[in-house]
Amino acid sequence: MTREQPGAPESATETETETATETATYVYAVCRRLDPAALSGLAGLAAGFPVRTLPLGPLTAVVQHVPADGFTEDAWQQRLSDRAELERCARAHHEVVTAAAACGPTVPLALATLYRGDERAQQALGADRDRFAAALARIEGHAEWGVKVSLPATVSEAPQSASPTTARNGGGPSGGAGRAYLERKRGLHQAREQHHDRALRTAEDIDAALSRLATATRRLRPHSPEMTGERHRLQVLNAAYLVRTVREKELLDAVELLRRRTGAEVEVSGPWAPYSFAGEV
Amino acid sequence: MTDVDYRPAAPPANGPSTANLADILERVLDKGIVIAGDIKIDLLDIELLTIRLRLFVASVDTARKAGIDWWETDPALSSKAARSELREENDRLRERLEALESADDGDASSSSSSRTKDKAGS
Repeated sequence: MTREQPGAPESATETETETATETATYVYAVCRRLDPAALSGLAGLAAGFPVRTLPLGPLTAVVQHVPADGFTEDAWQQRLSDRAELERCARAHHEVVTAAAACGPTVPLALATLYRGDERAQQALGADRDRFAAALARIEGHAEWGVKVSLPATVSEAPQSASPTTARNGGGPSGGAGRAYLERKRGLHQAREQHHDRALRTAEDIDAALSRLATATRRLRPHSPEMTGERHRLQVLNAAYLVRTVREKELLDAVELLRRRTGAEVEVSGPWAPYSFAGEV
Repeated sequence: MTDVDYRPAAPPANGPSTANLADILERVLDKGIVIAGDIKIDLLDIELLTIRLRLFVASVDTARKAGIDWWETDPALSSKAARSELREENDRLRERLEALESADDGDASSSSSSRTKDKAGS
């Protein structure tokens, strides 16, 4: 591993000095069969190096040569700490995985899976052939779907529901103000609790309904309002479902139905390569 | 995320090409089969907290747009939770220690020797 940090200008020249540059082998995914044409035109993580296939016995790896000095741990540290770079890498990795997954069952590998060369990659990945085969068998004919459920963050009817109580108890003008305040506080608190319960129930109902259509389910961490920047709504479910391709319409129909029945906002994303389910072997 | 100028005009044949970054990161960084390569890049040890902090410092707004909080692992959801819990506990302890020390500073600003003694005792 090189100690020096590769400077920015270096990346501009890397295409020209391809032969002189020491390379490492970056692995995107492992699949069963793949038409190399599906990979043509993909930039991957290193411009100037083709994204290609690497035979792995009966399986095929999707790989790319990358300049070794640009992919050291230090380089990654920097790269992943830069939001724009982080996004570029994640999207580039995802694009290659997606292209491979369009051809057949594909096991995506973690970002930054790097070997010293093709032979080492073949040797190391080959040792895990059974795991890959099991994962591929499991996800064949399936895709991953992401479902996020959001509800309004606060109860709008809270003040109204508190006011009748206030009116009833508001007899004495002196003691009334304090009592009314407490009543209102209590009412608000109760409404908030009920709202929270209802939100959780909605999330569980939707998850249960969709799980029935899925081969496997994974709950992801809901995004907090701080992160989504949407204070007005609360994400109550962030889940991934591994769904048979033939059941995709059923899933989308079910989502539509749940949307109408619960009044919750249900966002669906997919089909994804089965990222969330490939590692469970 | 609309700033995707490096993407080719034609979207990939399959999959959500306009998928938002949070969704992609959630999947690409954390999921998939984890194979340790020769060039060891432990994504967890690339101090993801540092990334988050830098994102926050750079711009709270962009961090929001990015929506990445997946490394805030949750015991109920992730096997990595133990690590993060340890880290959190560590942080908490560190904060308490700092608080104690600064309190000591205040108390014993006149005599630094007694402060050293206090610390050794606690």
